[in-house]
Amino acid sequence: MSAAWPTLLPWLVVLPLAGAALVPIVAVGQPRRAGRFTLFVVLLTVVVAAGLVWHLSLTGPFSVSLGGWAAPYGIELRFDRFAAWTLPLAGLFAFVVPFAWRYLDGTLPPERWAVFYALLLLNLGGLLGFSVTADLFNLFVAMEVVSLSSYALVAVAGRGVAAWAALKYLLLGAVSSLLVLFAVGLLFTLTGSLNLLDVTIRLAAGGPSPAANLALASLTVAFMVKAALFPLHVWLPDAHAIAPSPVSAVLSGLVVKVGIVGLLRVLELAVGSGAPLEVFNQVLMLLGAIAIVMGAFLAIFQNDIKLMLAYSTISNIGYIVLGLGLASPFALIGGSVHVFNHALIKVTLFLAAGAIIHQTGFRTLSDLRGVARVMPQTSAAMAIGAVSIVGLPPTAGFVCKWYIALGAFEAGQGGYGFALVFGALFIFVYYVRMLNAFYFQQPVRPEVAAAREPPWSMRGPVLVLAALCLIMGILGGIPLTFVEPAVSDLLLSMGR
Amino acid sequence: MVLFGLDLDYAACVVLFCLGLYMLVAKSNLIKKVLGLNVMETAVFAFIVTAGMVEGGDPPILVAGTSPPYASPIPHAMVLTGIVVAVSVTAVALALIVQIHAHYGTIEVDELKELP
Repeated sequence: MSAAWPTLLPWLVVLPLAGAALVPIVAVGQPRRAGRFTLFVVLLTVVVAAGLVWHLSLTGPFSVSLGGWAAPYGIELRFDRFAAWTLPLAGLFAFVVPFAWRYLDGTLPPERWAVFYALLLLNLGGLLGFSVTADLFNLFVAMEVVSLSSYALVAVAGRGVAAWAALKYLLLGAVSSLLVLFAVGLLFTLTGSLNLLDVTIRLAAGGPSPAANLALASLTVAFMVKAALFPLHVWLPDAHAIAPSPVSAVLSGLVVKVGIVGLLRVLELAVGSGAPLEVFNQVLMLLGAIAIVMGAFLAIFQNDIKLMLAYSTISNIGYIVLGLGLASPFALIGGSVHVFNHALIKVTLFLAAGAIIHQTGFRTLSDLRGVARVMPQTSAAMAIGAVSIVGLPPTAGFVCKWYIALGAFEAGQGGYGFALVFGALFIFVYYVRMLNAFYFQQPVRPEVAAAREPPWSMRGPVLVLAALCLIMGILGGIPLTFVEPAVSDLLLSMGR
Repeated sequence: MVLFGLDLDYAACVVLFCLGLYMLVAKSNLIKKVLGLNVMETAVFAFIVTAGMVEGGDPPILVAGTSPPYASPIPHAMVLTGIVVAVSVTAVALALIVQIHAHYGTIEVDELKELP
């Protein structure tokens, strides 16, 4: 039975993309069906992802060639240990979709629901494709599927303000995509291949060259924009805060990770090519540390809870990038696990915030005072998410930040360890501000005092996710078993 | 063609790319920004197509009268896909600009920034 799973690898990408094409047909005349059908497709995808991860844990990385041509000439899909991340990725969509069912009621007219869900499935298909492709050009195409659906999702519900935020996102995103395409073309010209492994081998055989360095540098900068690494983050706060809350959860938790997965791929490419890896690591460390502190610092001054969460994403991307840049075993493991844990926590926080905004109609801390009295369960989920993202034990955020801090000292970069702790203090300050407003202040708005808990289709996902934030803190070892061998492979090829 | 140690084809692509980037950054009109983006896209496509050229190469189609060396077909396939992506990006961008104009009544960035 287990041997049959690898043949399903293409379906991991095909299922959501085909689902996206079918949603508008299924929903004709009955808009509610769009949401249910989308959940069905997402659950099927989760089953496939779970089977693949199970096979991975039994036999190790595997790949599938498409179109009957063997790699490196054919197009290859590769399921390596970092690709195990596709399971939580698809799994989180299974929480976002039911949350959106009722959330869309007041946000979008029913005739546009099918479009919304189709875009969501396109986004999922692109993310999965990006994670499992072993082909440089498909990497670009999958990235564009993710980006285009994200631009549209930001603008889908709002009017002019949302369109303006989406356009700012698009202009920067399109330039970074162009840099990726340019780098892909350059690498193809240099090596005559598009297969990632093959390109790595041929770059290593060709020795260091300015052209290869230029290609790797453009890829690095492009993925920094996609990851919203400071100072290339300017598009993120508006786009993530203005989008409908389920979309914010997907964008902030999952879509920015495209940049991180991309940077991991660049690292793999750069390792063999004789590119100046020291410079790469120095830049990542420095920008990561600045992002941690600046993101957290700017978040303190926000009154809008979704803007606050958006700045918190910038800070957390800083943690992940700092982990990659430090390039010591502990730091790499911490950074890679934080890709998943931050996704879980941020989806929890954005969905909880979305539920609160949906029920009360307010989105600023000053208006939302005392909301915990009327919405105790949602507020508790928000509090658990907040504690997790600060990184207090025993929650999911603790493990990764602890590993990254250990990694900083391991790499002899103790100064960055302090940046990390300093950033955590700032983060603590702004989440305490939020919890103080929710729990310890009197409601000032009659609408807040009259608000009720959201319906179960919204409350359920939020509560289960909050529980997962706690459980992943205790079972933090599970992602580690996938990441540790991958990281040791990477470090081995880096000669450390 | 090589002139002053510079490969002219590639140098032209770089110049075109920088022109597009200048338009994107410096122009205040949103449509002009999108046009700048299109110029940058053209530069990248031209670069990839140029890189696929083989001196004296035949079209890589197996019919009577063609013989090796063949021009590489992969860059062309890549650029075709790239053009499709670029058209989609332009379409989304223009749709967003239409919405912005309907809501704010302007598509100048400096005027948009002054609005609340």
